[in-house]
Amino acid sequence: MLNLLLIIGTLYVLALVYLTWIARDNDRSSANYLMAGSNVGSFLGLFTFAATLFSTFTILGMPDFFRVHGVGAWIFIAVSDMFMVFGILMVGYYVRRKIKESNTSYYGMAGFMQHCYRSRTAGIVVFLGAFLFLIPYVAIQIKGVVLFLDQAFPNKLPIWLWASLMLIIMVIYSELGGLKAIMYSDVLQGILLLLVIWVIGIVCLNRLGGVSQMFEQVHRVDESLLSVPGPKGLFDFQFLLGSLIGIVMIPFTQPQVSTRLVIMKSHHALYRTAVALGFFAILVILPTLFIGMYGAVHYENDSTADFLGKTLITDQLPLIGVLVLLGLIAAAMSTADSQIFGLGAEIRSLLKGEDDHALRSTRGAILIFAVICLVFSLFSPDELVLLARLSFTGTALLAPMIFLGIFSKEAARCSWMPWLTMLAILLFILSSFNIIPNKLGQIRTDLILLISLGGIAVIAGYGSGSRRVSGKSQGANF
Amino acid sequence: MRRKIWRLTIGLVLLLLLLTFTPFVIPMGSHHPHLFGIPYTMWMGFAEALILLALTYLGTKVHPGRDE
Repeated sequence: MLNLLLIIGTLYVLALVYLTWIARDNDRSSANYLMAGSNVGSFLGLFTFAATLFSTFTILGMPDFFRVHGVGAWIFIAVSDMFMVFGILMVGYYVRRKIKESNTSYYGMAGFMQHCYRSRTAGIVVFLGAFLFLIPYVAIQIKGVVLFLDQAFPNKLPIWLWASLMLIIMVIYSELGGLKAIMYSDVLQGILLLLVIWVIGIVCLNRLGGVSQMFEQVHRVDESLLSVPGPKGLFDFQFLLGSLIGIVMIPFTQPQVSTRLVIMKSHHALYRTAVALGFFAILVILPTLFIGMYGAVHYENDSTADFLGKTLITDQLPLIGVLVLLGLIAAAMSTADSQIFGLGAEIRSLLKGEDDHALRSTRGAILIFAVICLVFSLFSPDELVLLARLSFTGTALLAPMIFLGIFSKEAARCSWMPWLTMLAILLFILSSFNIIPNKLGQIRTDLILLISLGGIAVIAGYGSGSRRVSGKSQGANF
Repeated sequence: MRRKIWRLTIGLVLLLLLLTFTPFVIPMGSHHPHLFGIPYTMWMGFAEALILLALTYLGTKVHPGRDE
C-alpha cells in the first residue's frame, strides 16, 4: 500500500507543481501575490472557499462527531454553514463596499481595521486574535493527518518527518505562486476531498443497507444518537448557539476566508459562489453522516483513531485507502496553506513602506508561521473538532469590533473597542484553560463574551452614528 | 418590490434562526416522527439546510447590490 501511495502521491505532487507553474506571474506586487489580482470568478471562488473551509476537520472530525454525539452534529455544522453562506451574501456586499469606499489597498482585515479605527492597536488585536486561534487549528490538522499516516504505515517515517514534508510542499508552492497557486491547488484538493468522502460514504451506506436501515441499526445500538443533545449531552442549546455564531462569523474574522470574500471580481461572482458553497457544504457533510453512523453500528466502543483507521482504510480496498490518505493530506494542506498565507497577508496589511520590501518581510513571516505550526503540531493535543470549535469561537470574538469598524461612520471614536476585544480574548483563553470558570451560573463564558461584545458594539454603533454602508455610490467591481 | 422581497428573505432567515433552537427543530431527547426511516432532527435539519440554500439563492436575485 505504501508503494501505491508513493505512486499516486507523486502524481499528486506533480499536479501541484504544474498548477504552481501556471500560476506563476511576472507581476510580483503584493496586490498580485497576496490578492491574486482581486479578479477571481465564481468557479475558482467556489473551490477555493470550499477547500479552505472544509479541512481534515470534515473528513476525520465530523464522522467521529456523528458516531459519538449523533445526528445533532448535522445542526452543529451543516445548518450553521447554511447560515454562514447567507451571511456571506448579506454582509459580504457591505464589507466589499466599505473597502472600495475607503480607497485603501486591502491586504488583510488587520490593516483595514487599523484604517477604520485610525488606531494601530485595532490592527494588532485583529492580527493577534487570528494568530492565537489559527495556529493551533493549523497544527491540529497537520497532526491529525500525520497520526493517521503513522497508523497506516507504522514505523516507516517518524511523525515529525511526515509533518515537515507536508509543510515543506505547502510552503514551496505558496512562496512560488502566491495566492493564485494556492487557489489553483484548492480546485484539485476540493475535487479530491469531495470524491473521497463520497466514495467512503457510499461504501458505508451500502454496508448498512440504505438510509432507513442505517438509522434502524443505530437505534438498536443507542437510541440517544438519533436526537439532541446526544448520548453525552454535548449538543445543548448553548453549545449549538455558540458554534453557530462562531461559524457564521468565519468569513469576516478568519483571514483565509475574508481575503477570498474581498478578491472576488464582482458582487455577482461572490453571490454565485455563496450559493454554490452552500450546495457544496451539504454535499460534503452528508457522507460524513453515513461514515459516522457506520462507525456507531460497527465500532461503537472503539477509540477515535481505531474507528477512523478501520472505517477509512482497513475496511476499504487498497486503492480507496490510498485515495483516502491523499484526500486527507489534500484537505489538511488546502486549509493550512490558506491559513498560514492569510496570516502572512495580515502582516502585510500592517506594514508600510516600499512594496518590495514589505512583500519580502511578508514571505519571511509566512515561513516563520509554517515553522511555528510544525512545532505546535508535534506538541498539541489531538481533540480535532473541539479545537476547531475553539478556533471558530475565538476568532468570532473579533466580529463585533470588525462589524463596528465596517458599519460605523465614526469607528475612530470607539478606540476602546479593540482594547475591550483584547480583554474578551484574554478571558476566553483563561476560561478555555479553566483558570477562570468556563460557566457563569448556567451560561457558558464564551457565549457571555460574544453576546456582551456584540451588544456593546451595537450600542456604540448607534451612539457614533452607524449607517449601512450606502449601496448608492458609484462603482462596483474590485 | 425587489427590496421588499430582500427584506422578506432576511425575515425568513431570522425566523429559521429562531426556530433552529426551539423544539420545532431540536426536540430534546425525541426522534419522532420519522420520515422514510429518518429521525426527526435529522430530516428537519436537512430540510432546513435546503430551505436556507433556496433562500440564499433567492437572496442573490433580489439583493440591493445586484445591479452594481
